[in-house]
Amino acid sequence: MEDPDNSAQKPVATAGSHKSGVFKLPLANRCGPDKQSHTNDESNKRSAKSRPRRQSLWYALYFPQLSELSESQQTQALTELADLTENVSDTVSFHSQALVCEVRSSLRYFGGIDNIHSKLQSLIVPALQNRSLGDSFLYAASPTVRGSLLLARSGHNALVYQKESLRSALGKLSVDVLDLQREQRRRLHNMGVRKIRDIWRLPAEGLHKRFGSNFVNSLSKAIGTSPELTRNYIPSPEFSASYDLPHEVGNLHYLLPIIDEILIKLRDFLIQRDLSTSRLLLSMAHEKRSRTKIDIGLRRATRHRDHLLLLIETHIAQLTVPAPVVGLKLEVKQFDAFLSDSEALLTEEQIEHRSKINSKNLDQFMEQLHARLGDDALKSINTVAEHCPEYATQQLNYKDKKAEISSAGVANNPRPFWLLDAPIQLTLRGSKLYHREAITLISGPERIETYWWSGQDILRDYYIARDRNGSRLWVFRERRGKRNWFLHGYFS
Amino acid sequence: MTILKDSITQPEANIGKAFNDIACNSRRTPRARVNQLLRSNPNLWRGCDMAGQGFHGVATGYRELDNILPGRGWPRSGLVEVIARHSGMGELQLLIPLMQSVIKQGKWILWVAPPYLLNAPALTQAGIDIDQILIVKQDTPCKDALWSMEKAMQTENCGLVLAWQNWLPGKVLRRLQLAAEVGDTLAVLFKHNDSKYSPSSLRLQIMASATGNRDFSRAKVTVIKARGNFRPLSAQLSLYPETLSA
Repeated sequence: MEDPDNSAQKPVATAGSHKSGVFKLPLANRCGPDKQSHTNDESNKRSAKSRPRRQSLWYALYFPQLSELSESQQTQALTELADLTENVSDTVSFHSQALVCEVRSSLRYFGGIDNIHSKLQSLIVPALQNRSLGDSFLYAASPTVRGSLLLARSGHNALVYQKESLRSALGKLSVDVLDLQREQRRRLHNMGVRKIRDIWRLPAEGLHKRFGSNFVNSLSKAIGTSPELTRNYIPSPEFSASYDLPHEVGNLHYLLPIIDEILIKLRDFLIQRDLSTSRLLLSMAHEKRSRTKIDIGLRRATRHRDHLLLLIETHIAQLTVPAPVVGLKLEVKQFDAFLSDSEALLTEEQIEHRSKINSKNLDQFMEQLHARLGDDALKSINTVAEHCPEYATQQLNYKDKKAEISSAGVANNPRPFWLLDAPIQLTLRGSKLYHREAITLISGPERIETYWWSGQDILRDYYIARDRNGSRLWVFRERRGKRNWFLHGYFS
Repeated sequence: MTILKDSITQPEANIGKAFNDIACNSRRTPRARVNQLLRSNPNLWRGCDMAGQGFHGVATGYRELDNILPGRGWPRSGLVEVIARHSGMGELQLLIPLMQSVIKQGKWILWVAPPYLLNAPALTQAGIDIDQILIVKQDTPCKDALWSMEKAMQTENCGLVLAWQNWLPGKVLRRLQLAAEVGDTLAVLFKHNDSKYSPSSLRLQIMASATGNRDFSRAKVTVIKARGNFRPLSAQLSLYPETLSA
């Protein structure tokens, strides 16, 4: 492997002599940001040692207003700001209430530190205002991360290009900018130390003893005599793949091979990042019509191509499009950490299940069912402590969380398996009840009185009855109004 | 126990041994001896149990019904049709012991497009854990209902599929029967009418008992067709516990 920096210094003629025919353009390094050489801080430091001219320049942004927020809010705000900072630098590092980004590599691209600063300001100030966090931030740039941070914290919006001048620039700062414990601060004050340069005048060994090595190290990191670690911002992954069809397609099933191709890409993408997905958006473009969008939600995150394809196929089977499709786009809406299926020791039962031809688990079945019949297709039931029979069963969409199970309230008297959607009025002829056939009461009554507080009170006497066909019925008689009889359920 | 284990590997040799064992135990009645022999050796079966299922059905929970079913219980997999001309004949109560055993295995019961609202307290009273019950909503179109039945039967943790559909053509019934056999799941189809040439494994009709209202709990179950059985048999069952028939 040849160092890109070295190849850049070679004349064009030698670059052309490479047998592979692939050569690096000599200008690329000078006008564009050289991202490869700054992927991590360690290599950065090493290159800085070997070639002192290529030092890095760290631009610190300090947001003192963040200290009022809770820790999680701070992280959230910093992540959002880091996202914006990515516009000028590929290396953004997190610090308490501050971000530090490397800008040396993008200096030439933006045309100077002033341009970078104004670009950042135009991005970050609106973001701060959106969060009502004021409209200003403190900043500074220097060849070390900690140096820039200290300069920014001091409120001197300073710019120090050379490492050699960093020591004198930092020396002028008050010791208050250091991240110190109260006790340490008090001790420094008692020692007559006011500025950072006062610390440097003290013997290093004594400082080690009195304040610990962390304290001394952090200062030597600031002037660049010892290496420093950064906690880099890693932007959240994004996946979006689109495909323009060469001609219009009316039959959606012809799209499946293309979708499969995209899913292979998606699978590789997810495997590389050790992720899986639980929500996808497939959109189809039409000529002169708005896009058809299919939102695909999964009960369990997956990156299994066959599973995703099967789901998309089920969605498509039910779909009618307003016009032929001319383009496809697949986006991932939700990334999840990848959890591999944990399998216990193989029991005989598991082996048996595996050998089954079409073994699928329940989650996959439910996803398919939702895809075909809609989100409210699958219900689960729950008992509710409720006297009124209509309200004693709670039908829930399967996705909804169940309320806590209240089995204590289940009635002791026999209840039928089936309830009618609405009670059906029975006819009373003479002293005989009729619902298609004559009805004979078998047992009862069970008196149910409830909802007297709501104005629509329920006053009923329930009986178990049987009609001439032998059907076992659950009937009731209203105890108010016209005292009508109703059929309410079947003992099936 | 040893007889059973050996007989799987060497059937012919062990039938003789089993005969000897039983002959020694001469105090028993001949019928009990034959029963014991049948129970101990899966390679023997009665002529009326043609499918060779022997005792390998799932007990229905009603002794009278076990006696008339081939395999002495519900088939392990396949399509069962339960014909009840009207609702409220006790067709669900007939399946309650089966549902209990499915739930005990930790499997799910799927109810596909039931005709009425399912009353949760009644299921709880019957000893069924309603957390293991899933319902495909009422008035789902027939095509979708059949599709979900087929998919459910292919799902490994679905132990029982219940569906309510009348007027299904033989072709569809055959497909369901096949799906149930392949998926090794039991599906029960409730209907109001009998269709003559159905390919299902078992077809039952449940009717009110002839004794009528005097005996609320009793019902008559007729086996219209069962794989491995020639004769139409019927039995009188007592479906409900005492409390209901007060």
